[in-house]
Amino acid sequence: MMLRRPLFWLILLLAAVFAWLPKHGNNVALREDLILVAVAIILTSNLNLMIGYTGYVNFGHIVFYGLGGYVGLYLMTVRSWHLIPAALTAGVAVSVLALLFGLGILRLRGAYFALATIGVLEAVQAFVSNFESWGRSTGMYVSFESYVPMGGPKHALWLTYFLIIGVMALSLMLSLGIRRSKFGLGLFAIREDEDAAIVLGVNATLYKAIIYSVSAFLPAVAGALMFFKNGMIDPSIAFEYMLSLEGIVMLMLGGQGTVAGSALGAGLYERLRSYLLTSPRLSAFHLVIAGALLLLVIRLAPGGLIGWLYRLVPRSREVIE
Amino acid sequence: MKRTSLIAFLLSLFFVAGGFAQTITLGFTVSRTGSLNVDSLEQYRGFELWRDTVNAAGGIKAGGKSYKVQFASYDDESNSKRVQQLYTRMILEDKADFLFSPYSSSLTATASIVTEQYEKIMLTTGAAEEKTYKLGNQHLYQMFAPATQYLTVALDALKAKDPKATVAFVYEDASFSVAVVTPAKAYAQQLGFNVVFTEAYAPNTTDFSAIIDKVIASKATVLLGGGHYADGSTLARQLYGHKVPLKMISLLVAPDSPQWAELGDAAVGVIVPSQWEPQSTFKAQYGPSGADFGKAYTAKYNAPPSYESAGGYASGLVLQHAIEQAGGIDTDKVAGALNSTDITTFYGRTKFSTVASEHGLQVGHAIVLAQWQKDKAGKLVKQVIWPLAGKSADLVYPIH
Repeated sequence: MMLRRPLFWLILLLAAVFAWLPKHGNNVALREDLILVAVAIILTSNLNLMIGYTGYVNFGHIVFYGLGGYVGLYLMTVRSWHLIPAALTAGVAVSVLALLFGLGILRLRGAYFALATIGVLEAVQAFVSNFESWGRSTGMYVSFESYVPMGGPKHALWLTYFLIIGVMALSLMLSLGIRRSKFGLGLFAIREDEDAAIVLGVNATLYKAIIYSVSAFLPAVAGALMFFKNGMIDPSIAFEYMLSLEGIVMLMLGGQGTVAGSALGAGLYERLRSYLLTSPRLSAFHLVIAGALLLLVIRLAPGGLIGWLYRLVPRSREVIE
Repeated sequence: MKRTSLIAFLLSLFFVAGGFAQTITLGFTVSRTGSLNVDSLEQYRGFELWRDTVNAAGGIKAGGKSYKVQFASYDDESNSKRVQQLYTRMILEDKADFLFSPYSSSLTATASIVTEQYEKIMLTTGAAEEKTYKLGNQHLYQMFAPATQYLTVALDALKAKDPKATVAFVYEDASFSVAVVTPAKAYAQQLGFNVVFTEAYAPNTTDFSAIIDKVIASKATVLLGGGHYADGSTLARQLYGHKVPLKMISLLVAPDSPQWAELGDAAVGVIVPSQWEPQSTFKAQYGPSGADFGKAYTAKYNAPPSYESAGGYASGLVLQHAIEQAGGIDTDKVAGALNSTDITTFYGRTKFSTVASEHGLQVGHAIVLAQWQKDKAGKLVKQVIWPLAGKSADLVYPIH
């Protein structure tokens, strides 16, 4: 079923291009640019499962990324685990925690839910800031020796990059798979009218808790990988509220509720910010220009870029989901 | 024959001129936007003034060549995820020969993962946290005195004045202040002080009433702690407002700013640990005197230099000294010169640890203590009160 959908092959192609481009010619600077794009896509496409598919605005989505980073780094630095099992364990642990949180806060709706997600972010940050085993506010640092089993930092960072690209592809596949599944239909029903969905037999609380938990898994894995690459973690960089907001902006820009929209929005936004930051002429005004462009896009294309494409070429819906 | 010698002469002129035209590229990020903006910009001004001074004097002279200094610098948005992207870019695309650190310990730790794997020398300034230098890095060199010293020095000054004081620690629950207070508390107990109260407050706290009530109840006579500008100034104002009978207050970072004088009477007597103060009287073996640096800085930026600016300028000086000693810009030779550096500039002494487990950690530079005092005209001024050898005034104790 998946194999017949063009977007499935486009995702594979995107991942292959991301993996091949920097490796071919050993272009590390390009790798560093693309890894930020890949992380933006991971965060946005998983956020899309909550906002775009289920209609629940999650302002605290970054908490999964940060917690994943903490669990992963703890396992790697204190327990001396290898990167891959540590990242996977981080994903599972954060998902289970999200399921527990979700069963509690997903009984709330609309603005109340949105506020509760900010509460979760604040509460987790406060807990981590006081948790002795995770270094409290000073955080945890990766020793340079941690890179040795992977053949030194150069190899370790390439490995991290390929893993991130894999997680990016999985994130998009996950969105694509859920979109046409019975479970996905249940989520869309909740988004359109939750009471009607319940009357029709959708177990809304359970569905929402499951998707909340599922949307936590891959961001947590990405968090473990990225903070390993980063070399350190502390509460201020792990739970940056601004990153949560940026995720929502990227989703709006690309088009919420669509798989391609989340990737497109994340990719464009991240590249635009990077370009403006390093452009000799525009760097002094990068925030002003980014802000103005976003305003324009949202004003002219309220359904995001994919929504605009659907209006322009209605048949594109069949290909670009 | 004549023509050949003329051509040879012109060619040699060309090569000599070419020698003069050599440049070295220094890469670093500046937090032009985001929460670290103010301090990072001060640090940048230090780099910039050093570059302009060096270039005006014809560049760095080493091994018979002159090297003009140019910068490759970007805005890191005070954001750690940008730092690795930009440091990689500076090393690989801008071909930076040497690097300076971003501002703050966490951004520096993140940048060091990149600089270390390319074996590039990075002088770190604005990064006092020690952990980064104990992770096996071989190319990092710390310009700031380590974070552990910030409040231990204040405790030394207190010990000399009042060994029976009772101490309270009230500090921001953030990376830097926790790294400072944890060893300071242990040191206080080691010196025999009675630590009667310890509390960390959340960053962005604006109401300290509950904490202040606890400080009063604890009967502490000395309060040490703070964090950054906003919380530190609010804490000082509210301590004054509640008329807490404290004999000594020492807060991190905030009282170093010239803005501190705007607190009026609440500012009086507050002590700040500082990496450098304009009144410091170090006899410079190399580079300008403190007075000359202060004058040049104020003329260019119309504001007095802070210790971040002094740290920035001194990083440039120390790198320049090492390049001159190494006779060129070869990384291994310059690293060797930095390893054996032991010089005093206007900023104080600079010496890096060469012990493998803490390579690059600053072991020569020491923290000075400054206290806000009223001069004869009743104007608030910052005076250096510690170390005693470099003091510009005596410690006022008790404050009131």
